[in-house]
Amino acid sequence: MKNSKMRTRRLSVIAGISAVFMLVCGCSIQIKSEPDPSIPDDTMLLAADKGSPMFEKIFNPYLFNKRVAASYVYEPLTAVNVLDGTQTPWLAEEVTLPDARTIDYSIRQGVTWSDGEAFTPADVVFTLNLIKEYPTLDIKGAWQHIDSVEATEDHVIVHLKEEDAPAADVISQTLIVPEHIWKDVETPDTFRDEDPVGTGPFTLGNFSSQQYTMNKNQDYWQADKVEIQHLVLPAATSELDIVTKGFDWAYAFMSNVDGTWGAANPDNKNWFPPGGVISLVPNLDKAPWNSVDLRQGLALALDKDKIAAAATEEYMTKAGQTGLMLPNQDAELNPDIPDQGVVGQDKNAALAAFAKAGYTLKDGTMVDAKGAPFTFSVTTANGYADWLRAVQEVRKQLSEFGINITVQQPQPAGYQQAIQNGDYEVAMGGMGGGNVFQAYNSLLSSEFYAPNGELAPSNFERYRNPDTDALLAEYKKTVDPARQVEISRMLQKVVYQQLPVIGLYYGGLWGLYNTSKFTGWPTAENPYAPPQTYDSSPLLVFTKLKLADKDGE
Amino acid sequence: MFVLRKIGLFLLTLWAAITLNFLLPRLMPGSPTDAAIAKLAQNGPVTDATRAAIEAQLGVPNGNILEQYFSYLHQVLTLNFGVSYTFYPQSVSEMIGQAFPYTVILVGLVTVIAFVVGTLIGVLTAWKRNTWLDALPTLTGSFASTFPYFWTALLLLFFMGYVLHLFPTSGAFGPTASPALTWDFFTNVLYHAALPSLTILITSLGGWIIGMRNAMINTLGDDYVTFAEANGLRGRTVAIRYAARNAILPNLTGFGLALGGVVGGSVLVEQVFGYPGIGFLLFNAVIGQDYPLMQALFLLITVSVLIANFLVDIMYGVLDPRTRR
Repeated sequence: MKNSKMRTRRLSVIAGISAVFMLVCGCSIQIKSEPDPSIPDDTMLLAADKGSPMFEKIFNPYLFNKRVAASYVYEPLTAVNVLDGTQTPWLAEEVTLPDARTIDYSIRQGVTWSDGEAFTPADVVFTLNLIKEYPTLDIKGAWQHIDSVEATEDHVIVHLKEEDAPAADVISQTLIVPEHIWKDVETPDTFRDEDPVGTGPFTLGNFSSQQYTMNKNQDYWQADKVEIQHLVLPAATSELDIVTKGFDWAYAFMSNVDGTWGAANPDNKNWFPPGGVISLVPNLDKAPWNSVDLRQGLALALDKDKIAAAATEEYMTKAGQTGLMLPNQDAELNPDIPDQGVVGQDKNAALAAFAKAGYTLKDGTMVDAKGAPFTFSVTTANGYADWLRAVQEVRKQLSEFGINITVQQPQPAGYQQAIQNGDYEVAMGGMGGGNVFQAYNSLLSSEFYAPNGELAPSNFERYRNPDTDALLAEYKKTVDPARQVEISRMLQKVVYQQLPVIGLYYGGLWGLYNTSKFTGWPTAENPYAPPQTYDSSPLLVFTKLKLADKDGE
Repeated sequence: MFVLRKIGLFLLTLWAAITLNFLLPRLMPGSPTDAAIAKLAQNGPVTDATRAAIEAQLGVPNGNILEQYFSYLHQVLTLNFGVSYTFYPQSVSEMIGQAFPYTVILVGLVTVIAFVVGTLIGVLTAWKRNTWLDALPTLTGSFASTFPYFWTALLLLFFMGYVLHLFPTSGAFGPTASPALTWDFFTNVLYHAALPSLTILITSLGGWIIGMRNAMINTLGDDYVTFAEANGLRGRTVAIRYAARNAILPNLTGFGLALGGVVGGSVLVEQVFGYPGIGFLLFNAVIGQDYPLMQALFLLITVSVLIANFLVDIMYGVLDPRTRR
C-alpha cells in the first residue's frame, strides 16, 4: 500500500509539471486571424447578431428578440448619429416643426419596397397607427407624445399632445413597415415576419439556425452608395471567434485589444468612442446623500483618471460632470464651465467639502458629528466587470479619506430592481448618451420621480428641483435650435453644480473593424456614426463604406 | 406491496418538487422585465415607454401568488407552459423540443458509455489490484476527474479546436447544414459533438472506475468469493458473476441519478461549446428570469431524476431481493 502511495505522489508531481508546461505553451501561442477563403471581397462578415445559441427567424422590427439585421431591412424616418445627436434625413426628406406641437415630415419620393411596391406616406401613417393599436410594438414610446397623424399628398403631419419639440427625435426613429403586407397580419404583436419586405439596403438571403446572409437590395433608393453585395452573420461570435475568423465588423468588448484583435491581422482596427458617462448614483432621498456638499466632496476626492484606467483597461478616459460625450458633443458644451466640466481630484477641497457636510477626518477615519464612522454601500450589477473594477478603485481611493465602502453585487435583474425601487445607498449607473434632451430629461425630470420603495422608470437618484423642471419644460416648447443649446447649457450647469450623479468615466462603444476589404469606416477623425452594429448606425455606415480594391489599394 | 409503496412515495415527492419548482424562481430578486431592461440598458438609456412595451409583450403575470400557483398547476397537468420570456414569441414547449434531442444525444450517450466503460475498467482494476493495470486507470481517472468540467472543456476547445483545427469549436452542426434526418446531417452532428462529449467522458470516467473498484474490492474479500475460487471456477466467472454483480449496486444508484441528470444537460460544457442543448437553455432562462422556461426545465429535470430513481429502486428489488422487504 505504501508503495502505491509513493507512486501516487510521483505521478501527481509529473502531472502537475506537465499541466504547468501546457499552460506556458498556451500563453506563447499567438492567435492569428484565418478568414474563410470562400467569402468573396464584396461580402462582409459581421459579428453583430448573437444566437442564443441558435438563430430564430424573427424579423419583426418591433420585437425585442428580433434578429439584428431587421434594422438593415426596415428604415426609420431619420437616421440618428447618437454620438452627437445629428439627424440624417432618411425616409423623410425633411423634418420641420411649424410649431412645438406639430411635426411635418416630407416623405421621400421614389422609394420602393423590396417587393417592388411603391413606398408612400400612407405606409408611414399606417405604421404609426399600427403601433398605436398595438402598444406592445411601440418600443420607443412614440404615442406618449402623439395625439394624431394625418397624410397630405407627400407629407405626414404629426400632431402632438402638447408643446413637445424634442418628441420629433423619438417619433422619427420608428421603423416603417409596408401597409400592403402588414395590414393582413392578424397578430402583429407575435408576428415573426419570416420573409421581411422593407425599404432598407439589404434583403434576407439564406437563413439557417447557425448563420444567415443578407443580399444587397438592388432597387434600394441609395443603391449607388452601397458597394457591399452580401452580409454574412454567423451565430458563433465569441471573442475567440471574432479574433480568429476574419470578421470585417464586430461590436464587442475585447480585453487587451491590441494584443488580441489588433495582433491577429494588420488591418484590424478599433474605435471606442464614448457612449455614456458611467457614474456613481447616490440615492438623494436617503440621508446623508441629500447634502450637495457631501456629493461635492466625493467628486473632489476621486482620481477619475485612475478609475477610468482601472475600469476600461485604459480604453476610455475620465468624463466630465456635465454628462456630455466629448469630443463629439463639443458644440453643445457650456464654455463657462471650467475644464470642460471635469472635476479633478483635490484632496484639500474634498476635505473642506466633507467638513461642510459635517464629516471630519479623525484618527484616520471619516466620522460624522456624533463621531460615528462614515461608511456606505455601492450597488453594482454582477457580471459587469468594468463597473466592478471602477468600484474597487473608488474603494481604494476613499480608504485614503478614512471612508469604508462595501460592495453589493446582485444579478443584473436584481440590480435593475434595486435602482428602480430606490433600494440602494449609492449605485453604479450611466448618464447621458444619445439625444441631449432625452438624456437630461430622464436624468433630472421630476416627472419620473418616485419615492424610495416605489418604481421610478428613470431618474433613479430621485432628483427633484422646480427650477430644473422649468428649464426642461421650456426646452420642450422651443423649436429654435440656438435657444435649445442655451437651455442645454443651463442644464449642464445644473448637473455640474448640484451633482445629482457623479460622473466617473466614459462607457465605450466597442467598434472593431477591418480595412482590408472595406474602407471609409467611422473613426475619431470622421465620427459620422458610432461603430455599433445595431439600430440605425449600420444604415449610416453601409452607405459610406467603399470596396477597398476599387481604389487600387 | 413493495411497488405500490414506491409509487406512493414517488407521487408525494413529485408534488413537493412541482411546488418547490413554482416557488424558487419567484424568490429570485428582480422580475423578467427587469432582466430584459438590464440587457437593453447596456446599450443606452431605456425609457419608461420601452419598459411598458416589454412588460406588455411578455405578459408578465400579475394576480396573487395563489392564483399564479393554480394556473401553474393547470399548466403542468396540460403540459402547456406558455410563452418564453427570453425567447418571445416562441413557446416554452417549442424551445425545449428544439434543445432536447441535442442534449439526449450528447449527454445521454456519453453517460451510458462512461458508465459501461468505467464500471468495466473498475472491475478490471479491482481484480488486478496493485498491478499497473490497476494504477494506471485509477490514477489517470481520478486525476482527470479532479479537473472542473469547464477547464477541461476550455483546454480541449483551445488545443483541439483553435490550434490544431481538428474539431469545430461551437454549435451542434455546421453553419450551412440544416436539420434533417439524413446521414450527412447525423455525421455532422456527431462531429460537432466530439469535443463536448470527450470533455464529459474525461471528467466522469474516473468516478465510475473508482466507485466500482472500491465496492468490488470489498466484495472480493467476502467468503462467497473465496468459496467460488475454492470451487475452482474460472477467474472471469468469479469476477463478473460473483463479485461484480454484488458490487455494482452503489454504481447503479449513481447511474440512475446521472441518467436523470442527463436531461438537465451539462450547463458548463454546453456553455463553453455553444451547444444548443437543455443546459444552455437553462442558463439563458436563469439569466433572463424566464419563469415559464425555468419552471418547465426544472420540472423536466426533477421528474426525470425522480423517474430514474424510481426505476433504480425497482431494479434494486430485482438485483438484491433483500431490499424488497
